[in-house]
Amino acid sequence: MTDNSDGIGGLTFDKSKRSWPNEFNIFFALIIIIVIFEALGQILPYMNDQSFLFDTKDRFDTIFNEARLKIIILQVAIIGIIALGVTQVIITAGIDLSSGPLVAATAMVAMSFAQTELVNGNPNPKALFGTWAMDLPVVVPVVIGLVFGACIGAINGTFIAFLRIPPFIATLGMFLVCRGIALWWSSGNPISFPTESYKFIGSGMMPVVWFLSLAILFHIIMKYTVYGKHTYAIGSNEDAARMSGINVKRHKVMVYMIASMLAAFAGIVLSAKASTAQAGMGEFYELFAIAMAVIGGISLTGGRGSIIGTVLGAMVLGVIRSGFTFIKLDGSYQLMAMGSIIIAAVILDQYRQRNRA
Amino acid sequence: MKKTLIAAGLAALMSTTSMAAEIGATFSRFDDNWLTVLRNGMVEYAATIDGLNYQQEDASDDLAKQIDQVKNFVASGVDGIIVNIVDTSAGAAITEAAGDVPLVFVNREPDNVNELPPTQAFVASNEIESGTLSAFEICKNLRAAGKGGGARGYLMNGQLSNQAAVQRSKDVHDVIGMDMCNFMTIIDEQPANWSRDEAQDLMTNWMSSGEPFDFVLANNDEMAIGAIQAMKAAGLDMADIQVGGVDASQDALVVMAAGDYDVTVFQDSVGQGTGSIDAVLKLIAGEKVDQKVYIPFKLVTPENMGDFLSKN
Repeated sequence: MTDNSDGIGGLTFDKSKRSWPNEFNIFFALIIIIVIFEALGQILPYMNDQSFLFDTKDRFDTIFNEARLKIIILQVAIIGIIALGVTQVIITAGIDLSSGPLVAATAMVAMSFAQTELVNGNPNPKALFGTWAMDLPVVVPVVIGLVFGACIGAINGTFIAFLRIPPFIATLGMFLVCRGIALWWSSGNPISFPTESYKFIGSGMMPVVWFLSLAILFHIIMKYTVYGKHTYAIGSNEDAARMSGINVKRHKVMVYMIASMLAAFAGIVLSAKASTAQAGMGEFYELFAIAMAVIGGISLTGGRGSIIGTVLGAMVLGVIRSGFTFIKLDGSYQLMAMGSIIIAAVILDQYRQRNRA
Repeated sequence: MKKTLIAAGLAALMSTTSMAAEIGATFSRFDDNWLTVLRNGMVEYAATIDGLNYQQEDASDDLAKQIDQVKNFVASGVDGIIVNIVDTSAGAAITEAAGDVPLVFVNREPDNVNELPPTQAFVASNEIESGTLSAFEICKNLRAAGKGGGARGYLMNGQLSNQAAVQRSKDVHDVIGMDMCNFMTIIDEQPANWSRDEAQDLMTNWMSSGEPFDFVLANNDEMAIGAIQAMKAAGLDMADIQVGGVDASQDALVVMAAGDYDVTVFQDSVGQGTGSIDAVLKLIAGEKVDQKVYIPFKLVTPENMGDFLSKN
């Protein structure tokens, strides 16, 4: 007997019945959206025949508008890092609402150990702790941030797996707790002026480097390791997974810990990129991370979804965001359009799933 | 003898109640940088007043929540209330919710400012000044730089649901509508939600079109700093581009000192914070107060920034 389950428990979807992988559809949708923006650049009278992705003004060496290509992925890279974790959580049929505020809380905690003592030769005007916490090696704030994230994830996981609190409620509570921590940590004051080595974590295209390397890492983990198989198995059928000897509770705690550590890392990258940490950071990040996974074809009932899908979902959001700015669409229409696209993605996906079955 | 004792006891009781005033304050957002400076200043100032019990709550930009907070304050029997109103057009609702309890509006001017009952007052800045000061100074700088024949630029908005953001953007359009500044054209305006990282991405998106520009105006310092970070990352010379914002935060002054930031506007947090607490205490004591106290905005440029270094 050959294994045709493709790591999703083999219960719902059979490789032999598939015409092409799910991810292809999202990729096609991405191309279609790009073509639409490209066409709008030609059609809309005020656009003066500008191109969305191609270099029409001869500014770059290649035929592409490299600046646009870079920003498309750069602006979704940090939320994308969160989405990698949320994807794993949703595959277990859970949800994580706490990631946005966790980004802010981690940014505050990590940044307070990443400050420089002198700014342009003057003492740091935003100093939170004494000089003992200044100019520390970059590994200190990063490790502190990740450990903080792991603790939050462990608490989420414990409540969900051992105390049987629904993931929506447990992480909703943690959503508020983390926002509270972010506000309390420095009584609402921004923490600024990090060391050069901390800034480097988020400088230039570094957020993209982190996002794509973590995506590759977790793609391999989800597809080829026991951890990945167990995650899919729990989401497909938790009772069956338990019966077949998987330690479901311990595994769930692990999944939530990994998700929170990814969100914490996103907070570190974000604060390094902005070279400041502020309590209001990461607003709606948890929802956009979930949206990326959903556009990427994940099922909120668990058992189905992939890291590649989520990366493509992130790309779709990035293209849309850049495209809206490209055609100078008003901010309020942008939100309406983005919401409609997310819902359309799910409707299409469900339609396709039903037809296949 | 017994009577005098009772009278003395009563007097003591009354004096302690009047001494131990309880003030409840609600702020539109706890995570707003400038409001945080204001809030923390007020906590510090309140701690210096004997017997004053000062408590503050976060309305998270939700007007309904803020009205409920005011009602809760009244229900729990506070002596005075301070409100940093979420929506300046909802002054009447807040005034009504407070009833007879003394109330002071801080920082933002409610629309019913001329019809306040004698138990209420306001201490604030006029938001029309901030955006106007910043945009007009940029206009003058552009003229001085010889760009009076035509200058193009971008405008970054705060949250579209936020009064200050809407007002500050309107100020910019009003300034550009003036004869002296109508050489300025806004290529595009988009919200970056007060945030530095969103402003970085927005600016990079704008720059990806390759369109030349001369100025960037932002509703606050954080977005202006984000725009500057993005422009520097793209290798633009900040001497050629005028950037204007509002707040005069510490972060902004450091960027200004480095020569990258041109214009911001200072809002006096200490004046507003202590002024509002003093006003509410007077109202509680039944004294007369000025019902309208305007604390002016001040223009901050590289020339006078030294005066503002340790203020906000």
